[in-house]
Amino acid sequence: MTLSRSQKRGLVGASLLALVLILIGTIATYFGSKYQLRIVYGSYVSLMVVLALQVFMGNARITNLSHSAFMGIGAYAAAICVTPIAMKKISLPSAPWGLNAFALDPVTSGVIAIAITAIIALLIGLILVRLSGIGATIVSLAVLVIVHSLFLYRTDIFKGNQAFFGIPQVFTLTSAIIIAVIMVYVVRGFKESRWGIALRASADDEISAAAMGVNVHRLRLLAWVLSCVLLAVAGIAYSYYLGTISARPFYFNHVFLTLAMLILGGMRTVTGAVLGTFIISFGLEWVRWLETGPTILGQKFPEVLGLSGVVLGSVIVLIMALRPGGIMGDREIEDFILKNTE
Amino acid sequence: MLELKGVSKTFGGVKAVQNVSMTIAPGEVRGLIGPNGAGKSTLVNLISGLLRHSTGTISIHGEGVDKLSAHQRAHLGIARTFQNLRVFGSLTVQQNIDVAGYSGQASHRNGNDILREAIARFDLADKLHAPASSLAYGQLRRLEIVRALALRPRLLMLDEPAAGMNEQETDDLREALSWVRSQSDCAILVIDHDLKFIMALSERITVLNLGAVIANGSPKEVSENRQVIDAYLGEDYEHAA
Repeated sequence: MTLSRSQKRGLVGASLLALVLILIGTIATYFGSKYQLRIVYGSYVSLMVVLALQVFMGNARITNLSHSAFMGIGAYAAAICVTPIAMKKISLPSAPWGLNAFALDPVTSGVIAIAITAIIALLIGLILVRLSGIGATIVSLAVLVIVHSLFLYRTDIFKGNQAFFGIPQVFTLTSAIIIAVIMVYVVRGFKESRWGIALRASADDEISAAAMGVNVHRLRLLAWVLSCVLLAVAGIAYSYYLGTISARPFYFNHVFLTLAMLILGGMRTVTGAVLGTFIISFGLEWVRWLETGPTILGQKFPEVLGLSGVVLGSVIVLIMALRPGGIMGDREIEDFILKNTE
Repeated sequence: MLELKGVSKTFGGVKAVQNVSMTIAPGEVRGLIGPNGAGKSTLVNLISGLLRHSTGTISIHGEGVDKLSAHQRAHLGIARTFQNLRVFGSLTVQQNIDVAGYSGQASHRNGNDILREAIARFDLADKLHAPASSLAYGQLRRLEIVRALALRPRLLMLDEPAAGMNEQETDDLREALSWVRSQSDCAILVIDHDLKFIMALSERITVLNLGAVIANGSPKEVSENRQVIDAYLGEDYEHAA
């Protein structure tokens, strides 16, 4: 198999991003406090979500608002499979279908969680890919609400807003770094694949793409399912590290946070996804510190509750107004070091 | 090769295309002319599947395509360019060509694998890695044609390929299209308002007016046809010719 020019450049770009991810992760592992490790881990999980989101939004250019729901499906499915029976007898005493009567190893549980997410994504995708623009976005919003309602009201399975606890904590920051690095290659590889290119063509001009033989619906479905599978992986990584999950983190605040990351960095590029995630992850930590009313140079500042929401919203408004393509626009990281003619 | 039998299309109550029947042979260059609103572009849209005809049948190489969508027809070798330039702006020139090329390769048609030379002939070789959005007008027109050629077409439909071009550019285009013809047995259907260009390029010309075929024949026959002169060419053309 020979690689095209854009695939070779993609390989260079993905490797540069991988290097950055390994570097940040390694520094955190060796020098971070326990609290900081948790923050960095959280940013790597966010990165997985934003990369997954880029696969669909960046190539098909349809805004998706349901991604946190698919992350939640992956997280809960894995949690239900992997949590030891003794734990589930306590936390899910009235679970149906014998869900509290079995337990699987983490790998099998992860595979099952991915498969379940993929099947649900496929069924929803069959409806969603036929719509374009605002129609598809509204459907995705409805999916978010439906899934969240199920998480809340089937407390016998998901425990709703209470903690679903007892998930074996088998992941470390190293696991998250490895997964994020693999995802960078997968996501960039898809973008430069014949499917990614044809899908971007259809986003530029759907009619013209059809006239060139592009089956737009099938390619959108492919990107949608791939995106949801990667979201399931993010959900699994989240639950395998924290050991405790609940419905709240898979709802609107998380949708908005990760969307802001992708929009800030620039949704058309993988580099933008990485950049936006780290700027907002670490920027928000700093804002949260300001929220608590810190003392800076002997000057006591007042508590400003809700500042992080204001900042996040303002970032989206400003970037949309000033630079709708995000920080990166159409540029990937390798464009800064390779000549255009190479 | 391409065969239309009694093809009609109505929009609301308006008959855009009325009972059009025509056949185009492999390797033939057919001109399609007529006044604005005659239904020329609509006919191309019907053949390529971007619009569905109301009645009649369309077939290519004896294979009916009535039920096939646009992308399926492209896989059968029905290629086209767009009058209003529809390249993929966020992709490079090479990627624009590749998008059609994937479909062309999947069809396993060969014999007209002339793409590499076509890129040179249509003067795009040094622009391959440039974003299509950065191209000049004439380059965009040529990219439309090369992209359609990447489908390895059996029928290539060109919707006003010379629109907005000066005389020199039009001559170059005609030469490049003659080369395409010499290299492949693909049939070409050309719409244009530049009569000199179309008369020089086509072996036969079909004239549409108000959605219906009013004449069909060699360039000479058509230009002497009374109905065509009245509806489209006008008295001036008659005297000039």
